[in-house]
Amino acid sequence: MIYLNIVGSFNGSLDGIPIAYKDLFCTSSLPTTCGSFMLKDFKSPFNATVVNSLEEAGAIMVGKTNMDEFGMGAANVYSAYGPVYNPQSILFDENHFEENDGERRVAGGSSGGSAAAVASGMCFAALGSDTGGSVRLPASYCGVVGFKPSYGQCSRWGLIAYANSLDTVGILSRTVNDAQIIYDVISKYDVNDSTSITPEVRSINSSIPSFFKLNSNTNDLRGLRIGVPKEYFVSELSESIIDLWKKGISYLKSHGASIVSVSCPNTRHALSAYYILALSEASSNLARFDGVRYGYRNEDSNQKDGLIYADTREIFGKEVKKRIILGTYTLTAGSYGNYFLRAQKIRRMIKSDFDRVFKRPNPLHPIKKDLKFDDDNKVDVLITPVAISTAPKVEDCLTTNVNNFVNTYVNDVLVMPASLAGIPAISIPFGVSSIDGYPIGLQLIAQYGDENTLLGVAKVLEKGAN
Amino acid sequence: MWSFVKIINSYSNVAKSFRYNTKKFSTRDLHQKNWEAIIGLEIHAQINSKKKLFSNSSTSFNEPVNTNVSVIDAAFPGTIPRANSKCIELTVATSLALSGNVQSVSFFDRKHYFYPDLPAGYQITQHYAPISLGGKITLSPLDGLEYETDVRIKQIQIEQDTGKSIHDVRPGIVLIDLNRSGTGLMEIVTEPDIRSSKEAGLTVRKLQTLLRTLGSSDGNMEEGSLRCDVNVSVHEAGTPFGTRCEIKNLNSIKFLMAAIDVEIERQIAELKKGRAISQETRGYDVTANKTFRLRTKETSTDYRYMPEPDLPSLIITEDYLTRIYNTLPELPDDRKRRLMNQYNISLHDVMSLMHEGGGVEYFEEATKNRNPHHVVNWITHELYGLLNINNIKFNNNPVTTQQLGSIIDSIETGDISAKIGKKVLLQMVSGDKRLSSDIIQEKGWKQLTNMNELEIICKNILSQNPEQVQQYKQGNKNIYRWFVGQVMKETKSKANPKLVNDILTKYLD
Repeated sequence: MIYLNIVGSFNGSLDGIPIAYKDLFCTSSLPTTCGSFMLKDFKSPFNATVVNSLEEAGAIMVGKTNMDEFGMGAANVYSAYGPVYNPQSILFDENHFEENDGERRVAGGSSGGSAAAVASGMCFAALGSDTGGSVRLPASYCGVVGFKPSYGQCSRWGLIAYANSLDTVGILSRTVNDAQIIYDVISKYDVNDSTSITPEVRSINSSIPSFFKLNSNTNDLRGLRIGVPKEYFVSELSESIIDLWKKGISYLKSHGASIVSVSCPNTRHALSAYYILALSEASSNLARFDGVRYGYRNEDSNQKDGLIYADTREIFGKEVKKRIILGTYTLTAGSYGNYFLRAQKIRRMIKSDFDRVFKRPNPLHPIKKDLKFDDDNKVDVLITPVAISTAPKVEDCLTTNVNNFVNTYVNDVLVMPASLAGIPAISIPFGVSSIDGYPIGLQLIAQYGDENTLLGVAKVLEKGAN
Repeated sequence: MWSFVKIINSYSNVAKSFRYNTKKFSTRDLHQKNWEAIIGLEIHAQINSKKKLFSNSSTSFNEPVNTNVSVIDAAFPGTIPRANSKCIELTVATSLALSGNVQSVSFFDRKHYFYPDLPAGYQITQHYAPISLGGKITLSPLDGLEYETDVRIKQIQIEQDTGKSIHDVRPGIVLIDLNRSGTGLMEIVTEPDIRSSKEAGLTVRKLQTLLRTLGSSDGNMEEGSLRCDVNVSVHEAGTPFGTRCEIKNLNSIKFLMAAIDVEIERQIAELKKGRAISQETRGYDVTANKTFRLRTKETSTDYRYMPEPDLPSLIITEDYLTRIYNTLPELPDDRKRRLMNQYNISLHDVMSLMHEGGGVEYFEEATKNRNPHHVVNWITHELYGLLNINNIKFNNNPVTTQQLGSIIDSIETGDISAKIGKKVLLQMVSGDKRLSSDIIQEKGWKQLTNMNELEIICKNILSQNPEQVQQYKQGNKNIYRWFVGQVMKETKSKANPKLVNDILTKYLD
């Protein structure tokens, strides 16, 4: 399958570069399973737009990577094809883990396979998808860069949807520069994606000044204002993560940036809003897997009255079923107003939280000015932790304990607000835990469309990694 | 892979039959007994666009199964719908023509239910914010109603059509054809302003004419490009509205009217027995001329409407509206009045012309420098008839206006009789592209118009039949037609009847 260009002509900016794809990007040459038995032998008749863009630039697909089934999970233990193990644990102590799988650390999810592939050096970079932290969280756990661009920058055509209004193509790589190289190739308008940022908005966006120009490479942060949102200081944060967060702030300050405490008061609602919206959309998206065209049908139970599809959906994993049921419930006539509409309202409030703290206007509604907030208090980027802890153990994530049910969702609390607002965010490996030695990432968040500033600051931050 | 899918056979199928019991029933009788019926319509019109609503595949009718299906229409994972601007444009034009309020912002929603011919598991429609609100259809004597009344439009929404489930081809197997999947539909919902089956029938007919005039839909109920659901309730005058029942899938105006009448009758009978009407969805059995229960409110589906996250809101600007408004063709009521005044033809003739898309344009082209009465008769009686016999739709009519005009001219000059004219027209309908004069020439159909020649023939017949001449002179005027017949026989029907008439009258009277 690997195509080698023996003629020696130049095929593009990524000529011969090996790339891995999360198994929800449609590829016509390899199956696309979404980590589910439902799509066990599914081969898409077409390539995702981002796959085509990378191949046109000369990249080579080295393979498809494991993931939580349909993107539903934060630890990558919910794949029908088995969990993804954190490559760091293999590096640490190979023998120990052969005896006890449960002791191994997870890679994080849902793009765990992509993060692990990059961390273990299997490829130059990998594409993942970020719906509520699915690229940033595994990046933090595995010690690699995880970049989620603004919603609509990279085409979702051929990305099998989990929650369409949140799904974003994400990039996992070893350095920010590598992420930027991939991003430059896949960030463009696609007529096949109705939610792709239009050329008009792209041109409005590039006319708005940013702190950093395109592909900036300077360490001088004088004049840059970095916000520390106080709501991200959640009680679940582990000591070593707080330490590293502080170190990151000091490091950026040492390069001339001024540090401002800011407030995004609606952050505390993000988790519940996220789970209502994402699961509602997921329950809808997965309706097409009805056993007529995908999966299989149980011939014996076909005649069950009224439940004509019930038996075909047993192929879904437990977590997917749980989320379908929750999402179905939030869309029923009796609960739509109480759940879905309120969650949408919270989502708008979270967006305006960010619009208030960022100096740069949002290109989607550039005229709107909030006069209540002083320009002096506004910032260029935010710095926060990515995860509340280092990579947990596989057995801790697989527990069926009821109390753990919500706890596994709490893991996403720091990454979800940027997903709900559709704004760009990146996880930068900044050090390791003083307790267990596992990697920790820091998150930078910027205004919608301000990838230049985000990546510019990220390049400075990664140099300070411990 | 998914073309022919074996699924369960539990889907009940309404027996299709073309027999129809015409039991005479008049809702007016009921009005006299103080009952009133409240009727509202939900009409689905297929948008007449070349491409489907959210994909680039062609719309089709009667194409080989599963040939016009893209990955979007089949809801392959990873696909994203993209709205077709032509479908939006035609819906906006329809809204404007119905005096609707086109909304500056509307959006699409997903309506969820499982059915094998709905590959995504949801239909994309406009539930929360439809593209147009309000509007009306005015029924008047121009439409064949004795009085004038307004049927208000509640809303117009854009949605996608489903695929087709084909039952009964093989027992126990349902086959799926996705050619129709994703075709654009306009759903036009009326307020409950209709009071009789006649008003309901006229409303649909009027809408059909409007859609065809605009070119926004074929509006053909038999072919399924127009489908109608109807809500019916009855109550005694002066009391609040009754509970309504919805009758689904009525596929002709005749059945729509019949279903309304029997449903009114059923509901009144129930109420008279002291029973309550429960809100339910019913079907109409054509053979038995009865409605029957499909599902009750308790067993109805919760569609779990959700905004479609893959499609941005539909923004309609003033400029866009103005542009569409300026391209609207002449609307049916204006057109009726103008045609009746300008050409002095009857309302009946005008309606016949308007019943076929392009009929009026054809008439107006053909009638230039010709007698409109003759032209309209030739179109609505002869041409429509021959096309119908030969199973040709008017939009595929092979006869040009020059050709039809040439027949009328040939009759006018006396070259042929009307009878021969029909033979010429049949020739043209069968594909002959020549003008009337060329066809007459080749076939030798030209009439005898030579006065001298005809005089000789007539005189001969009269002198050879003195007995009949005697009878005529004695007052048996009926025998006159016999003489005409003899002349026609002699001339192989080529004699100009008017000249024959003149000559015979001259010699007999």
